[in-house]
Amino acid sequence: MPKDKLKIGIYELTGCAGDALLIVDCEEELVNIFTAASIEAFLMAKSDNRHGELDVALVEGSVSTEKEKEELLDIRKRARVVVAIGGCACVGGPQAAFLDKKEWEKNLKKVYGNIEFSHSRPLQSKPIDAYIKVDCYLPGCPIGKAQFLSTFARMVNGNPPELFRFPVCVECKWHENDCLLNKDILCLGPLTLAGCGSVCPNFNVPCFGCWGPTEEANRTSEYYLLREKGFDTEVIKNRMANYSGTRITEFFEQFRKEKR
Amino acid sequence: MRILKLQKKDLFPLLKVISREAELWAPTAKGDKFAYGRVLDFSRIAMDAVRTIIPPKKIMVPSLFNMFNFTEKGYQEDLSHVTDRILFGIHPCDIHGLLILDKLFSQAYLDPYYLEPRKKTLILGLSCLPDAYCFCKSTHTDIIEEGYDLFFTDLESYFLVWIGSSRGDDLIRLAPDFFDDKLTEKDIQTYTKWQEKRDNAFKTTVNFTRMPDLMELNYKAPFWEEVGAACLACGSCSMVCPTCNCYNVVDKLFLGNKPGKRLRHWDSCTLPEYSEVAGGENFREHKSQRLKLWYTHKLQAYVSKYGKPSCVGCGRCLVTCPVQIHVKSVADALEGHPVEAFWKKFAQEVSK
Amino acid sequence: MKTISIDHLPRVEGNGGVFATIDGHVITEVKLVINEGPRLIERLTVGKTPEEDVSIAPRICAICSVSHKNAALRAMENALGVKVQPKITLLRELAHMGEFIESHSLHVYYLALPDYVGFPNAIAMASKFPFEVKIALEMKQFGNAIMKNLNGRMIHGENMVIGGFGSFPTREDLVWIKNRAIQFMPFVFRTVELFCGLDYPTVPESDTLYACCEPGNGQYGFWGEEIILSTGEKVARDDYKSLTNEFLVSHSYCKRSHYKGNPYSVGALARVNVLGERLQGESAKMYKKYFSPRWKKNPLFHNAAQALEILYCFEKVPELVDEILAIPENPPVVPYTTKTGKGTGLVEAPRGLLIHHYEVKDGLVSDVDIITPTAQNAEDIERYCYLAAQKLLDEGKEDAIRDRMDLVVRAFDPCISCSVHMAEVKRAPSDDWKKKLAELQPAGPAFIGIGKEGRSDDRAGLDLAAGMKEAGMENVYLETEIEEDHSLEGLAGRPLIFLDIVNMGEPAGKIAMLPLQHVFWNAVLSHRLLPAVSNRLTYDQIKNAYILGIQPESIEEGGRLSNSVRAAVEKILEEITN
Repeated sequence: MPKDKLKIGIYELTGCAGDALLIVDCEEELVNIFTAASIEAFLMAKSDNRHGELDVALVEGSVSTEKEKEELLDIRKRARVVVAIGGCACVGGPQAAFLDKKEWEKNLKKVYGNIEFSHSRPLQSKPIDAYIKVDCYLPGCPIGKAQFLSTFARMVNGNPPELFRFPVCVECKWHENDCLLNKDILCLGPLTLAGCGSVCPNFNVPCFGCWGPTEEANRTSEYYLLREKGFDTEVIKNRMANYSGTRITEFFEQFRKEKR
Repeated sequence: MRILKLQKKDLFPLLKVISREAELWAPTAKGDKFAYGRVLDFSRIAMDAVRTIIPPKKIMVPSLFNMFNFTEKGYQEDLSHVTDRILFGIHPCDIHGLLILDKLFSQAYLDPYYLEPRKKTLILGLSCLPDAYCFCKSTHTDIIEEGYDLFFTDLESYFLVWIGSSRGDDLIRLAPDFFDDKLTEKDIQTYTKWQEKRDNAFKTTVNFTRMPDLMELNYKAPFWEEVGAACLACGSCSMVCPTCNCYNVVDKLFLGNKPGKRLRHWDSCTLPEYSEVAGGENFREHKSQRLKLWYTHKLQAYVSKYGKPSCVGCGRCLVTCPVQIHVKSVADALEGHPVEAFWKKFAQEVSK
Repeated sequence: MKTISIDHLPRVEGNGGVFATIDGHVITEVKLVINEGPRLIERLTVGKTPEEDVSIAPRICAICSVSHKNAALRAMENALGVKVQPKITLLRELAHMGEFIESHSLHVYYLALPDYVGFPNAIAMASKFPFEVKIALEMKQFGNAIMKNLNGRMIHGENMVIGGFGSFPTREDLVWIKNRAIQFMPFVFRTVELFCGLDYPTVPESDTLYACCEPGNGQYGFWGEEIILSTGEKVARDDYKSLTNEFLVSHSYCKRSHYKGNPYSVGALARVNVLGERLQGESAKMYKKYFSPRWKKNPLFHNAAQALEILYCFEKVPELVDEILAIPENPPVVPYTTKTGKGTGLVEAPRGLLIHHYEVKDGLVSDVDIITPTAQNAEDIERYCYLAAQKLLDEGKEDAIRDRMDLVVRAFDPCISCSVHMAEVKRAPSDDWKKKLAELQPAGPAFIGIGKEGRSDDRAGLDLAAGMKEAGMENVYLETEIEEDHSLEGLAGRPLIFLDIVNMGEPAGKIAMLPLQHVFWNAVLSHRLLPAVSNRLTYDQIKNAYILGIQPESIEEGGRLSNSVRAAVEKILEEITN
C-alpha cells in the first residue's frame, strides 16, 4: 500500500449529479472513502475544497459550456490519473445524443431562444475524452455502488480497475431471467455494458442501455433483428441513441454509408 | 438395480420425509419458463417443466461466488455455497450434463468448488416428454443409466422409481412404506408404451456421428463469417449450456482493512475479452473465430477425447439465442442443408 | 466595488454559485448562476416513445429521480388515458416517501447541519456529533432501500412503468419496510426537535408567496390535480403555466418562474406553510409545538419544515404498507392504444413543485415542458440573498454576507442539476456603472428621466434626459412623455434604464447602476417611480430594467441642484454621449 494517501478530487460537470450522489449514497463506506484517501475536492459533500495537485480526478458529467471545458483542462493538468465516472463523462450522456451540430443548435434555440448567455458560452455536450486523455472509464447511469467501491479500493491500493466488458445479457443469464428480446420486447441488453447487475430485466423491464455501449456492440444485427420483430426504424434508432452519447454518431454514419 | 412403484399421492409425503436433512431443490415456475429453486412448499414444484432457463450446473458452481477471502497474510477458503442438497426433477439430459462436468472439473486439477457441492447433492431424476426443441435422442442422452440416486418415471397415476445408488437406497429406507416392489405385467406394458410414445415425440434431430468430420471439412466455410456477423456476442449460449464450464476470477478489494475477495464468475469463449492476453493482443478477435471454437468444443474435440459430443441435446441454445445461432442451425449449415435461422436471413439482408 | 462570490456552492446536489456585488453601501447585483451546461432534456425526448421518455426525463436529476419518474408517469398516463389501479398508486406513493426520507435526511443532517454547528462537512462533524451522523446515515439508507425495493435502483430505477410496475415487492419486503419505519420513530422525533429548535438567524426575513400541490380531501401529501397557493388561490393542473410563467435570464441555463410578477417559493416550507394545518397524528402535534409566524417569511425554516416532513413520511409509510397489503392481487401493466393526447403531471419533489407536461402525437412525444422546483425558487433565492446581503451591509457586517448567502441558498435545498453552485461577494470597482452601461449599449437601451423640478436634486434625472436629447440621442424619454402615451410597449426587447436619484447612504454625487428589481425588493430604496411604471411593465421588462442612480444631497422643496449631483450628471452625460 502506498505510504502517502492518494489525493483524490471528485468533480461534477453537466449531468444529473447522480454519480456524485451515488458516492454520497455509499453511506457506511463514506467514512472509509474519506479515510482511505485524501479527498481534496468534492463539492457535493464538503466546503473545504482545495485546488492543487491530484493523484486521481474522478470527473462526472459532460462538457457543456466553455467554462466547463476550461475547468476540465485544468483538472487534467493537475491530475496524474483521470477517471470518467458515469455515462455523461464516458460517452456524453443523453444530452450528447443530438446527431449533428445543426440539430443541437436548433434545439438550443427552441429551449432558450436568442438569449446571449453572460456567464459561459454553451457547447454541444461531449464526453470528457473529446477534450482530454482519459485513463479509465467507469460507466453507468448512475455508476454502480459495488463497482465504484471496488474500483476505488483498487485505486487506493495501487491496482488498476477491473470492470466487466461484456454485455448485460451475461449478468441477466446469471440471474436466470427469461430473455425479453425473445419475447419481442425492445431490450438493449446485448449492446449494453454489464455491471448494473441486469437490474431492469431482473424487474421484468427491458434494458434501456443506460450503461452505454460495449466495445463490440453489434448494432447492425440487433437493428435487423428488431426490424424483423416489427419495430419501426426510428424507434430502434432512438432507443439505441438515448444513452450511447457520441458513440452512436459514428455508427449511424457508417450505417448510412452502408445503406447507400 | 431395484425398481419400485410409488403412488402419485405419496410423492409429497416422501419428499417431506427425505428433505428433513437437506435442502430440496426443484424446477419452479419463473414467468412462463422454469428455474431451479429451493422448495419449501412442494406445490411449487413444476412437475411439467421441460427445461429450466439455466441448467443445474448453477447449483454446483453459482454464476458468481467468492472462492476465498485474502489479506496480506494469507487466504481462507470460502465454501459457503456447499451444503447438503436434494435435486429433484432433473431430466436425463441434465444428468448427462453433470456427468460431463464431472469429467471436466476433475482432470489435471480437482476443482473443489464444483466437486464438493456435487458430492453433497443427491440426484433425484424425473422422466420427461420432449418438446419441439429437444434432441437428446440424437445425443443419446435421452436415457440415463448412471449418475442418479433415484429416478422417477411418471406413468400418469404412479411412478416407477429406479434406485441408482446406495445413497438412493438409503432414502427409500427412510420411508419404505410408500413403495411397492411388486411390479405387474401391466406395469411393464404401460412403461413400454410410454417409452414408445416418448421415442416418437422428438421433432428435432442432429446427426452427431458426422459432426467431427464436417467440422474439420468446413473449417474455412463461408457460413462461419455469416454467424459471426449476426452474433450479438451476448454469451447467453454458454450461460445456458449444461456443459459450458469456463470461468473468470476477479479480485475484489474493500476499504477499511477488510479482507479482499476472489470472485469467480461464469465466462464464455464467445466474449471478446476471453482470448485477450497481456498487451491487448487477441487471438480470436472476430466473433466467427470464437463461435468456431465454441462449436469445435461441442461437436468435435470432446468426441475425440471421450467418444461422444459435449452436447446433451437439451435444446437450451435453440430457445435462447436471439439470432438463432445454435447446435441445430450450425449442424444444418455444416451438412449443407438449408438453414432456417435469423443469422442466415441477416446474411442475405446485409449482402443486398 | 467588491464581489462576494461562492463560485462553487458546496454541499448542494449539482453545480452553481451566487454572486453579490457591493458598491459602497448598496448591493448592486445578486445573481444565482448555474454553471451546469444546457442539456436540452426537453428536446431530447421529443420524437421518442412514451416509454423512453419516462426513462430519460428522470435523468434530469439523480436525487429527485423518483419524483421525476412519478411526474412523468402521471403526465404520460394523463396524456394516454391510462388509469392505474389503486395498488399501483399506493406503491408509487411508497417509493415517493422513500425519496423524501432519503433526500430530506441527507439535506438536513449532511448538507445543512454542518453550517449551524461549525464544520465544513458531515464527515468532519462526525467527531463531535457521531450520533446525528449515524442516524442520518441510517435514515438515508432506509429511504434508499425503499426506492431500490420498489423502483429497482436507488437512482434512476426503471421498475415503475407506464400503467404499473415491472414486478412487485414481496410481502416480506413490505413488512420489513413497515417495521423498520416504526423502529426509527424515536430518532425521527429527535430529528424534528433538533431542526425545529435550531436558532435560525433573523436575516433575511420577508413575506413571499408559497405554492404546492393540492393533495385534495383536506389531506397533506405529495401530489394532486391542482396547485394551491398561500393566498388560497387554486390553479388547475392543466393551467400550470398561469403560475409558472417561465422566463430566461442571461446568467443561467436554468429557466425562472414568477407569479403575477412576483417571485414565489416552493418546497418543504411552502408545503408546511400552506398545508401544515392538515397534518395529523404526531406530525400535527410537532407542527403545533414548533410552528410560528417566522416560518412564513424566513427561508432558513426550510430545514425545520423538512424535518417535520421526515416525521410525516415515517408516519405515513406503515399506513401505506397496510393499505398495499390489503390488496393481494398484483395488477398487470395497463396496456394503452391511444396514440395522441396531452397531459400534465403534478408532484411534490422533496425541494418543491415539479411539473411534467407532454404531448404525444402518432405514438411519439411531440412536445415536452418540465418545470423543476429549483427553477421556480431561483428568483426567491436571489431575492432573499439580496435582502440578507443588503441588511448585513446596512448593519456593517459585510464579512458575514458570504456565509449567510450560502446558508440561504442551501436552505432551499437547490438541486442544481435540475437547474443550478454557490456564493461570492465582490466589491465593485469605482465607476462600475460605466462598465454596466457599456454592456447594455449593444442592446440599444432606452433612457427614461424621472424626477421633479423645483425639488433640489430631484431634477437630476430630468436634466440627464434633456442633456441626452440635446446630444441627439434617440430613445430618450421624460417621465411625463411616458405617462402620456404608451411608448413603453414599443420598447419591448430593449433594456430600460431609468435615470433618477437614489438614496444609497453614500456621499452625494455617487453614481450606481442598480437592477430595478432591487428597488422593488428593498423598501429603503423604494421610490415613487414604482407605481408609475411597475404596472405598465411586463415581468420580462422588469427583469431587464435598471436604475442609473445618483446619491442626492437634498430633495428639499424649492432648492437647487447641488454641485456634487451636477458634477455627477455631467460625468454621466460625458460617458453616454461619447
